[in-house]
Amino acid sequence: MYDYVIIGSGIVGTNIARELSQYQVKILVLEKENDAANHQTVANSAIIHSGHDPKENTLKAKLCVEGNALYEQMEKELNIPLLRTGAFVVAHNKDEELMLDELYERAIRNGVKEILFHDQEQAFKLEPNLADDITKVLSLPSTKVTYPWEVAFACLENAILNGTEFKKNSEVTDIKKEKDYFKVEINHKVIIETKSVISAAGVFSDQVAYLLEKNVPYQIYPRKGEYFVLDRKAKGFVQHVLYPLPTSKGKGVLIIPQVHGNILLGPTSNRQDEKDLLSNTRDGLNQIKDDLHTLAKNIPFNLIIRTFAGIRASSSFDDFYIQESKTYSNFFHVAGIDSPGLTAAPAIAKYLVDHLLKHHNLQKKNNYDPIRPKKTVFYKLDFEEQLALIKKDPRYGNLVCKCEKITEAEIVEAIHGPLGNDTIKGIKKRARAGSGLCQGGYCEQTVLKIIARETNQPIDKINYYALDTPILVQETKVKP
Amino acid sequence: MTKMICIACPVGCHLLVDDEMHVSGNKCMRGEKYAIEEMTHPTRILTTTVKTTSLLTPRLSVKTKDPIPKELIFEALQLLEGIIIDNDVKIGDVVIPNILNTGIDMVATKSVTINPFH
Amino acid sequence: MKKDLVIIGGGAAGLAAALSANHPDIHILVIEREKALGGILNQCIHNGFGLHVFKEELTGPEYASRYMDEFLKMNIEFLLDTTVVDVKKNDDFELTVSSFENGLFKINAKAVILSSGCYERTRGSIAIPGERPKGIMPAGSAQRYLNMDGYLVGKRIFILGSGDIGLIMARRMTLEGAKVLGVAEIMPYSNGLTRNIVQCLNDFDIPLYLSHTVTNVKGKDRLEQITIQEVDSQFNPIENTEKNFDVDTLLLSVGLVPDISLFDSLDFKRDAVTKSAVVNQFYETSVSGLFICGNALHVHDLADYVSVESEKAGKSAQKYILNSKEPSKQIHPIEFNSNIRYVVPQLIDFDQFKDSIDLSFRVSKKMDSAIFKIMQNGQVISTKRAKNLAPAEMEKINLKSVTLVDQSPISLILEEVIL
Repeated sequence: MYDYVIIGSGIVGTNIARELSQYQVKILVLEKENDAANHQTVANSAIIHSGHDPKENTLKAKLCVEGNALYEQMEKELNIPLLRTGAFVVAHNKDEELMLDELYERAIRNGVKEILFHDQEQAFKLEPNLADDITKVLSLPSTKVTYPWEVAFACLENAILNGTEFKKNSEVTDIKKEKDYFKVEINHKVIIETKSVISAAGVFSDQVAYLLEKNVPYQIYPRKGEYFVLDRKAKGFVQHVLYPLPTSKGKGVLIIPQVHGNILLGPTSNRQDEKDLLSNTRDGLNQIKDDLHTLAKNIPFNLIIRTFAGIRASSSFDDFYIQESKTYSNFFHVAGIDSPGLTAAPAIAKYLVDHLLKHHNLQKKNNYDPIRPKKTVFYKLDFEEQLALIKKDPRYGNLVCKCEKITEAEIVEAIHGPLGNDTIKGIKKRARAGSGLCQGGYCEQTVLKIIARETNQPIDKINYYALDTPILVQETKVKP
Repeated sequence: MTKMICIACPVGCHLLVDDEMHVSGNKCMRGEKYAIEEMTHPTRILTTTVKTTSLLTPRLSVKTKDPIPKELIFEALQLLEGIIIDNDVKIGDVVIPNILNTGIDMVATKSVTINPFH
Repeated sequence: MKKDLVIIGGGAAGLAAALSANHPDIHILVIEREKALGGILNQCIHNGFGLHVFKEELTGPEYASRYMDEFLKMNIEFLLDTTVVDVKKNDDFELTVSSFENGLFKINAKAVILSSGCYERTRGSIAIPGERPKGIMPAGSAQRYLNMDGYLVGKRIFILGSGDIGLIMARRMTLEGAKVLGVAEIMPYSNGLTRNIVQCLNDFDIPLYLSHTVTNVKGKDRLEQITIQEVDSQFNPIENTEKNFDVDTLLLSVGLVPDISLFDSLDFKRDAVTKSAVVNQFYETSVSGLFICGNALHVHDLADYVSVESEKAGKSAQKYILNSKEPSKQIHPIEFNSNIRYVVPQLIDFDQFKDSIDLSFRVSKKMDSAIFKIMQNGQVISTKRAKNLAPAEMEKINLKSVTLVDQSPISLILEEVIL
């Protein structure tokens, strides 16, 4: 019997797991895909927002500002990458400057501590590539950028270190409430028993809730966001996250420096029916290019290496829906987590666990270890540190991904361990091999062979990402 | 009247062959030879691979020394299935002699050492 | 470690350069990142190599072995499975080099030849819309898996791009048991050799869709379907021309890019069209002692031309090391009209111009018949007629020093002749 089953291993589910793993409770995290952190967590802007944008007196506003501060602590404890970019919201004329004033007021009321204005001259000194017609900017120094799925991995690894269990390829197919516990059915086969269920199922939150409840008090309205990724050769094009003024559709199309030097352009914001259709569209991508001219000039579109799309779990509820079920006690909805979900995630976890503390008897562990040791990113070390590492393990001398300078040792590390992975994309998420200019054109075949060797599998069993997606489909020159 | 493009060399002359096998459009004699052959018994050089036991070179590239009848290509490929090279091979070594009785050998286009010592 | 000349890349370009740079007074080191010399030639198991250099038709590996055999006979030093990680220049070059066997170490060199080849353009860089399932990869990657490892990456294939890599792979996949449902090409004409259209497409009844491109990709985890559409003269998709294909693999043959990022920090002068360095007739870049040749300098269609060019680069590097050069004053870019896409070399050093220079160029559009004029100071100093010009086929013209009027800039004018 588990104490808590958490459905979903995205940024929210993993933060909740980590927070709960401080207590003497038995936790199981269930993930339907072949790896942790798959949907929104891997397809967003990576921004830790300051909190200037959410409507006042909402959970979004409160937890965004709290989450922003909590990332400082997470950086220390989990050694996650955090780029302190700051942000500018830009105005082009007097009307827009008035809107900047309103944003300023709202930010103050939301609890944003660091906030100031720059006039045109100062703004262009700090960001020479701003669009020429920008007249004033609102500066938000507390805005940061992180590497979202690494944060989720770090939280889950830490939770696992502290006793949490994790099962991937485990889709919840039914939930039934017995007298004082739940029967959670996985893959139509296995039944898990648990005292409480926390649903952090992102875009599928309402579907998961319907497994149990007839009247789910919200509906997920999927909203697609498309992006371009610029190669890290674009590093330095801008230093800050650049926002236009927000509209009813959302924050708008942004320019976002990333922790490894890349720059994201996007997102769009378009409602769609399908939850799982992560396609890029001509119109969406063209819209990004059109909208960007209000932010910057000389945009290095020639450095585009990739496009992607994510689906936001926007909901009919218009704020985060973090509540115990009205019908079944001990079933907790953590739903409608769209922007600023990444920022708010650690605060969402604390908010939920604070509530649990009041109603459940949770005893703290005395051996809880909040630390996840720093991950080796070989190319970031200096020559002497690199030499020392190679002495210990010569696989640090074998460069596998030439574009991003990732070594064999880092790839081997990504394969093993409690959150290790044996797929091409899983390794890309962890070690970044294949994230560069040639997008794995050169190194994929080497990564594939390393995975096969390390996991004792034949090379034609190695998957791209999901189960049963082998890269190599049929051996030639063998008798059928 | 048949239209075709000559493949004897990279120029790729556009050829016309009439019902009496008269060829026009060719810039050299190879074109005429190619056109008539293509109409009567087309041939192709087959380049492909053969499995080996070498860890460094699991596939050895091979070719037919001369063009073989086009209609025999897939049969020739089938012949290669199940062959495993487990001895050292030099470029030009015959891998399959007189393939499908054409009088043409299948030869290695790469050298392979099965047990290299580093 | 100190060397006179380091050659980065042991493929067609690097081997030819090493052979011609070789000299008893010069210590050469060739650094190759693969476990064998030969570069991309090792996976190009098809015919068509050596027609110019050896007057025979060879497969890629056979062509490579001609150079490798010579190279090994000359006992030139080389490192395999070794990657150059960083390059700096003060007086000489300092390269940081890494391998499993030898770890991380630095090499100082008087001169460097960059013969590192090119990489394939990706789906992301041309922003093909649709989902992002497994099953979309560059044609060269599929070629390597098939010809070196011995595996098909799919059973039902569609190919985007009718350049030679795409056409060759259409044939290869078919011969090994896959079904190739078609090749789409965004231009109104194919980019590959006509003989490849015959041998790779017509032979197997594989349809070629000119003026078409891929406009959608369906499949969440695995590729299920692609959509192609006809495009107009601006390359925009035309409505209601969609054609769907149920495939598990989309191979991309959409262009090659010189692989020279390693040298970005050296800040050499660049050519935006070739996407590589500007060089003079010695294949030397604006960084003195840094030479570039082969696909790293500009993308070639024939390995033979890579070898010829790289021999010259090797000879230049040898001369650079052995002699001290007087600084040149008369260096001018070659001008050309809009019918020419680019010319390599881009610069002529007139002070050092002896005998003749081979200029390689590509035309901007297909021309059945054209006349080529070399001009200097408003005078035509040389003309040549040309037929069947195409952007996909690199052309050469020889500029002889005896034809020069003075040391003022040269212009290349290509005029189409409408018959």
